[in-house]
Amino acid sequence: MPGDNVNMPETSERRPRLETLVGTAESVDDARVEIQVLPDRGFLNLRLDPRHDDGIAAAARVLGQALPLAANTFTTGVHRVYWCGPDEWLIDADVERTASLRSELAGALTDCHAAINDVSSGHAAFGIVGNDARIVLAKGCTLDLDPRAFGAGQCARTNLARATVLLAIADDPPGCKIIVARSFADYLHRWLALAARQRDASS
Amino acid sequence: MLLIECPWCGPRAETEFSYGGEAGIVRPADPDALSDAEWADYLFFRANPRGAHRELWNHAAGCRRWFGVERDTVTYGIERSFVLNAADAGPDSDPDPASGSASGDVVQAVGSPGLEGRAGARTRQGE
Repeated sequence: MPGDNVNMPETSERRPRLETLVGTAESVDDARVEIQVLPDRGFLNLRLDPRHDDGIAAAARVLGQALPLAANTFTTGVHRVYWCGPDEWLIDADVERTASLRSELAGALTDCHAAINDVSSGHAAFGIVGNDARIVLAKGCTLDLDPRAFGAGQCARTNLARATVLLAIADDPPGCKIIVARSFADYLHRWLALAARQRDASS
Repeated sequence: MLLIECPWCGPRAETEFSYGGEAGIVRPADPDALSDAEWADYLFFRANPRGAHRELWNHAAGCRRWFGVERDTVTYGIERSFVLNAADAGPDSDPDPASGSASGDVVQAVGSPGLEGRAGARTRQGE
């Protein structure tokens, strides 16, 4: 009923810890590839018309960093801001900061046709690092993962082992961040561990 | 597998997309004024040409935007991709604020060559 949810805790406090979801899957941790579970990340989805210069500037002021306007890129600062579509961004922030960041952005964008939503509960993040990381990803992804085609600072929403994911390549530390729907987190973590173990057998 | 050019994300594998049928099917403004035959024509009948075909695709696993593709139904060769104008928009798609066309009248073609400048992930050729 309307009004019943006023005492519900903030979204980010309700989410189960990621470790409880993927705790039974073993990660591969050898010299050439390591799969990391990245807990305590919060995610905000921002929809905003990129032609709205004032809105883009206002969002950048709150975030302390620019919104990436070029397709398939992200910006790194205090947070990470990923380009998801021509009028859509995913903001990857510390989970403790997510709720306040959401309300600050909403306040700064009141004059714009914009939407800012806390989607922390629906997302999980993994990292895959090491020299063989791209080999593991290539087992389930159709993107050209060659560093010349998909290098640091680039991100892409695509399919990884049939799951819709956002891949983001960073060089500090080198590796790829994988953001996936939380309901796919356990499956994808198991798939990554299996793909990492089997990476020599395939190619 | 088709290599489809998303106007925003660049060339990606067909598995990232979902098909939306023939482009340019516009819902009649006043359905009550139509005869049954005209309504059936709008609902069910498509041109199904042999050769060049303008069709809708949605980049479902990527930027989630609808766009148009001109594809040859004989060779499956894709001539070009384009940002939709108002007349091409399917029943579920909103006019996209980022299409670069404020009036909605301009079809912005994205040819296959000349994509070197775009920052974006690519699909491996020959998948």
